[in-house]
Amino acid sequence: MRQYLAQKTAGFLLTAVLVSIVTFFVVQILPGDPALLMLGTEATPEAYARLRQELNLDRPALERYLRWFWNFLQGEWGRSWRYALPVRDLAAQSFPLSLVLASLAVGVSLLAAVPAGILMAARPKSWPARFLSALTQVGMGLPQFWTGLLLIQVFAVKLGLLPAGGNASWAGFILPVLTLALPRTAVLSRFMRVGMSDALRQDYIRTAHAKGLSRPVVFFKHALRNGSLAVLTVAGLQFAQLLAGTIVVEQVFGLPGVGQLLLAGTLQRDLPLVQTVVMIVVLLILLFDLAFDLLLGLLDPRIRYE
Amino acid sequence: MKRRVLYMVFLSVLTVFAVSGPGFAEVLNIAIPQDPDSFDPVKTIAAATAEVAFNIYEGLVKATPAGGVEGALASSWTVNEAGTVYTFQLREAVFHDGTPVTPADVVSALNRARDPGVAVRAGELSMIKDVRAVERGVEIELAEPNGAFLYALAEVYASIYPAHASDLARRPIGTGPYYLEEWTPNQRLGLRRFDRHWSGETPYFEQANFLIIPDENSMVLNLKAGRVNVIPRLEASVLHQVENDPGITVLSFPMNVVQVFSINNARPPFDDLRVRRALALGVNREEILFGAAWGHGALLDSALSPSMAGFYNDQLREVNPYNPELAKELLKEAGQENLSFTLTLPANYPLHVQAGELVAQQWKALGLDVELQIVEWGTWLDRVYTQRDYDVSVIGLAGRLDPHAILVRYTTGNSRNFFNFSNERYDELIEEGLRAYGDERRSIYLEAQEILAKELPGVFVMDPPQLVAMAKGIQGFRNYPTYVVDVAGLYR
Repeated sequence: MRQYLAQKTAGFLLTAVLVSIVTFFVVQILPGDPALLMLGTEATPEAYARLRQELNLDRPALERYLRWFWNFLQGEWGRSWRYALPVRDLAAQSFPLSLVLASLAVGVSLLAAVPAGILMAARPKSWPARFLSALTQVGMGLPQFWTGLLLIQVFAVKLGLLPAGGNASWAGFILPVLTLALPRTAVLSRFMRVGMSDALRQDYIRTAHAKGLSRPVVFFKHALRNGSLAVLTVAGLQFAQLLAGTIVVEQVFGLPGVGQLLLAGTLQRDLPLVQTVVMIVVLLILLFDLAFDLLLGLLDPRIRYE
Repeated sequence: MKRRVLYMVFLSVLTVFAVSGPGFAEVLNIAIPQDPDSFDPVKTIAAATAEVAFNIYEGLVKATPAGGVEGALASSWTVNEAGTVYTFQLREAVFHDGTPVTPADVVSALNRARDPGVAVRAGELSMIKDVRAVERGVEIELAEPNGAFLYALAEVYASIYPAHASDLARRPIGTGPYYLEEWTPNQRLGLRRFDRHWSGETPYFEQANFLIIPDENSMVLNLKAGRVNVIPRLEASVLHQVENDPGITVLSFPMNVVQVFSINNARPPFDDLRVRRALALGVNREEILFGAAWGHGALLDSALSPSMAGFYNDQLREVNPYNPELAKELLKEAGQENLSFTLTLPANYPLHVQAGELVAQQWKALGLDVELQIVEWGTWLDRVYTQRDYDVSVIGLAGRLDPHAILVRYTTGNSRNFFNFSNERYDELIEEGLRAYGDERRSIYLEAQEILAKELPGVFVMDPPQLVAMAKGIQGFRNYPTYVVDVAGLYR
């Protein structure tokens, strides 16, 4: 186990450093000059030269990378060019929001997808199952900006029940979470159905039935454990993806999450902001991954010794 | 248990109503698509900042809706006979932090604004030779008479703030009718009424929130749902969603932006006036106005918008009428009937992209081979604006209060002249315009506009519409020739 832990941790650190290099240089080679973007169609050569100097853009790329990485490690994240605010403040505002959005969206999806998947696997020929199956098809095809706008139209404009945007109250989260949860529920319920029907075909299930266990016990005690592994993995992936922001939903609902921050930063080539935020996202995902791996390793010895 | 759940649901519905219903204090919510960049007047570049900052900062003078200037922190001013020394008398005014406005504050703010080591647009105040404090006022000495000077003082970069202010970027301290109370990036700027404004007037709204809503469809839905009261810049593409809504008023103003198909005058065969003229004659501007801006906006013939009422030349409509036959003849004459070129469009401006797609069809009808190239804004600025490596492109150039600031762009060798346009007489006129006043100055700029219409650095298309959508009942929207939202004028 100690070797497994060391291996995983080393992999984690190596990936983090590699990602920092890739992020830095990818942002550098994007066409479009940050100083030029800030000045726009009023740029004069003098103003441009001074701004470049102010932003340290006249220094060699390698020097800037090393300085940035060193500062990042020390928690000195610098000031965003786009917002004239410390990157730390911007991150402190958007990450908690994205975290809440991601948790709620995945949580709601799981709550809806697990029973739906079980039903579809248990009684595939029944009308409710067929209806749900058709619904998941539709759900996966829904573009999020469209669902979002439709939900606002119905619940905020027509019925006046929920706010059209913003996170001034917790009610503001209902529509964005629904928008995010709909397509994810569709995906998860399909994984749940496949996982469940696979599990139900296993020998040990037949054995369980044969030894006279009741149907609910067979389903929920024996089949569900194995049948839900895939769903949990996919839900974990979805969570990680949502953590990096949900540009469309944030834009439609005017929420200041990680997605909007990254989009605005990238469009303006706000290097300190983009590099640092991407780095945080990557670290969070890697940490999440590491924890997940270690947990699996603990639970399942087969994985440890691979 | 069941009852408790029901009770919770009931409570939450109540909360939702309480939160989304009208509040007690008079609050105005204005939707804007993006955050300001920095509230430091000498560092800001984005138009989005000027829009909000107008309510927070004031200069010695400020712009009027008609496009003139009037006293703000200066109650009056006198000019010496040579036109080189302006003496401004200061009003009794206090900053948002409660300290009084002193001549020393004005001197320090203006000196900072013209210091090229600090200020991004120091060049625009380079006419100033010296700023001195005098008894209850300041004296500004110019190197030579300059007709654009007072207008320059009304721009954001000439705002007055306390000499002791630090961190203006995040915590602006001005003298305007509102002060910035709270700024949550990507979400909201909260402005609150400043009750000690020198005018003694009290704006109607106690609180004004600028809500950041990047998506134009969701902006409209927020207006319909009552979360937003004013959309100062509605995208033309969503106009149809509000036009016939009885609860919404839509106003349309010229934006004082010049949309122009810029032509690279230095690159053959566009150095041939006949080719440029053919391109101009081949453009059906009305079709573009209808196709890209839904018929709103004003057609242009030269580089000033009609909203620059005091200087606009309205006699140029017949210089380049839509005439494809004549265009073909000119192309033949120039030996360019089969001309093929690239039209570069900035992807982030739907209006310009649509205009470009329409004009490409019109030019193709002349027998030309037009290749469309849509590029991202950063690439556009780099390639078209800075490197000037392009054939034909399209852009909207933001207006200013003073014609010089707009027209100087087309002079030979100007760093913002990405047209590579050059005309000796034009250069002379722009020089003279700075030294002239009144009618003389006006006639100089009329001639300059005529030269641009005839010599064609590019094809001028339209001043796009500024569409304002407001909830019924909100009144008093004042349109300015600059990019601002004047909150103090609004009431319910």
